[in-house]
Amino acid sequence: MLEIKNLSMTYPDGTEALKDVSFTVEDGEFLVVIGLSGSGKSTLLRCINRLLDPTSGTILWNGTDATSLGHNQLRPLRREIGMIFQHFNLVKRSSVLTNVLAGRLGYASPLSTLAGQFSAADRKKAAEALERVGLAPQARKRADELSGGQQQRVGIARALMQDPKMILADEPVASLDPVLAHNILGYLEDLNTESGITVLCSLHYLDLVQRYATRVIGLRDGHLVYEGNREDIRSMTDAQFKDIYGQNAERIATGSITGGAPS
Amino acid sequence: MIIPAPITALASFILPGLGQCLNGKFRRGATLFFSFSTALGLFLWRVATTAHREILWSGRFAKTFQLEGGFLIVVGLGLIAVWLLGIWDAWKLAHLNKEGKRQGSPWLFVLVLTLFFSIGWQISEIDLRKLGSEASEAWVPLSKVLWPWEASYDAVTNTTEASTTILADPNGTPPEIVPAQEGQPSITVFPRKGVLSSLDENNDVVPGTLVTVRGKGFFPEEEVQLWWADAMGNEFRPRYESQYVTTLTDSAGAFQVKFAMPYRLIPPSATGPHIHTVMARQIQDTGEIVASEPLKLTINLIIETIFMGMMATFFGIILAIPVSFLAAKNLMSGSRLGISIYYITRTILNIIRSIEPLIWALIAVVWVGLGPFAGIVALTIHSVAALGKLYSEAIEGIDPGPIEAIQATGATKLQTIVYAVIPQMIPPFVSFTIYRWDINVRMSTVIGMVGGGGIGFLLMQYIRLLDYKAAGIAVWFIAVTVSILDYVSARIRERFN
Ligand SMILES: Nc1ncnc2c1ncn2[C@@H]1O[C@H](COP(=O)(O)OP(=O)(O)O)[C@@H](O)[C@H]1O
Ligand SMILES: [Mg+2]
Repeated sequence: MLEIKNLSMTYPDGTEALKDVSFTVEDGEFLVVIGLSGSGKSTLLRCINRLLDPTSGTILWNGTDATSLGHNQLRPLRREIGMIFQHFNLVKRSSVLTNVLAGRLGYASPLSTLAGQFSAADRKKAAEALERVGLAPQARKRADELSGGQQQRVGIARALMQDPKMILADEPVASLDPVLAHNILGYLEDLNTESGITVLCSLHYLDLVQRYATRVIGLRDGHLVYEGNREDIRSMTDAQFKDIYGQNAERIATGSITGGAPS
Repeated sequence: MIIPAPITALASFILPGLGQCLNGKFRRGATLFFSFSTALGLFLWRVATTAHREILWSGRFAKTFQLEGGFLIVVGLGLIAVWLLGIWDAWKLAHLNKEGKRQGSPWLFVLVLTLFFSIGWQISEIDLRKLGSEASEAWVPLSKVLWPWEASYDAVTNTTEASTTILADPNGTPPEIVPAQEGQPSITVFPRKGVLSSLDENNDVVPGTLVTVRGKGFFPEEEVQLWWADAMGNEFRPRYESQYVTTLTDSAGAFQVKFAMPYRLIPPSATGPHIHTVMARQIQDTGEIVASEPLKLTINLIIETIFMGMMATFFGIILAIPVSFLAAKNLMSGSRLGISIYYITRTILNIIRSIEPLIWALIAVVWVGLGPFAGIVALTIHSVAALGKLYSEAIEGIDPGPIEAIQATGATKLQTIVYAVIPQMIPPFVSFTIYRWDINVRMSTVIGMVGGGGIGFLLMQYIRLLDYKAAGIAVWFIAVTVSILDYVSARIRERFN
């Protein structure tokens, strides 16, 4: 269980990206974060695994306060939380396999991994992860030879290597076309329902939100402005959606992206 | 406000460009003014330096007309044409303004460009006729350079020699005869003393004593050359009746030849008995060939050149890596001190880079003396600057995305560097470095010309000695080395894309 309490984050340049945000994520939820570009979604997700240090507030991850951990104590926290990104964030010139294996770095012995060595068990795990996202034949290819959808699947396989209890997904489908978006979110849904991995995902399209989310929170200017369960979202009208998103929000079916360019 | 055409024309008559400015075309006016005054300045400078003895301008123009009539007329007329066209242009602009049109004609600037082009042509002494008229002279050295391989080897010869002594004094006692060894060729001379040829008061040769040289034990039916060494041991081939003294051996390997003792200027200081040596030599081609001196030198120096380039690149890398961190904006932009170090480093790198390696070599030669080390110093300095800039750009180009992704897996700092930073750095580093090596080898082929070691030095020497074949060998080796390196470096860089 993840409990966020009174979380605030101010960037060194003075931008207040999160203002007193509190919410709870139960185990097994598929929680979607919506909000305009610049509303603080990325900042929120990055505070949870401490890629960013929040200014104040607490993040309780299964009882541990993540905000109190020193930089050397982050390893156990981070390896339980997988993360996938809008721009996939693969090491482009490394092979697909190396990218996936890198997901295991939080568990593997630091010394041998520096020489590129992974245990046989880790290699087997990587092969299984690639199998699971349907990319086993691509293992030896360079990451940047793959299409966008395939790269995001590599990103999922990398997260799977962590045996995550939760996956943070920062607009995982924003740079993919609608068909691929369903493909990728389908993988996340499988992980969520079959493997019981909690998913915390920011999304841009109302119909994707309605299709996948079990619960939704909405951010505007760093404030938490909306919380709703599955039924609330299903019955949500475009007007309500626009209330959170601003006036140029659209459904994916019309082809355009809501709330301006994702970031 | 629209100014009447005659006034703008008059303004341009007084000062080129002024009329255009009055018409509101300030950039056009300024361009015209600056190009006209630059051209005029160049023109007057040329006139003043050509006729530097004259004090009055009239005299200077007259003298320049004598010496460089073409320049004076072409550029002088060009200046007048630009000036006149400037006046006409101002007039025209005023009319266009009145009609509300904005666009002036481009002809003025075509003329200005033509003027500068003709100044350039005159100053750089372009003479296209020479391309044709001197071509025949270029062909001889060029053909040697293009196909120099006859100079790349020497035939191996086998010399068979026998010698004896003779006294160049009709009154002394001839030296003792050293008996010939059994089975070795030997020669005898008769008589064993005599007078050398000499010159009379008309510089005509007075022949010396006729001597007969007999030899045996030589290779049969082959040429024998007679050689002579004076009392001081200076060897030369004597001539008799204006031919070198040679003969053929008979089927038993014996020969006999008769000639007058040669002319030799004996320095008055020479004392003691004038014992000269007569030698008979058979020089046989063994059919073998060996690498000639130029070829060996070229190979040695091309190796030196490649390694000079390599060492310079090596030192360049080592010094450039720390420098590149200081010159990477993303690393240095944290603090005010950092950003000022960044700007200072960048500026220094730019200055160093803008000075050619050849000029650094001139400095290095003074600093560490002639030789390859000077070349390495020069190339290293230039490489540090060039690589430092390229590396720092590679660092600036690192994508932070993979770094945060690896961090998010729980990787340690070191793991993050190994898995996210280094894979991004290696390809540009390798490709810049290989490219630099390629450039450094190429540069070290010319750096020798100013004394920085490497093959350029040899090439320069051969060209000065007019030994075009030897120069050709060096040129071939340079060309082949550079193209191989070019190919290899291109392939390596391709792999690291
Ligand atoms: N590194 C940063 N430094 C300063 N301000 C930032 C930085 N990253 C994001 N911000 C600002 O913080 C706010 C929230 O950004 P972000 O979390 O990226 O929003 P979202 O992901 O919802 O588009 C925005 O105003 C953005 O400009
Ligand atoms: Mg974002």
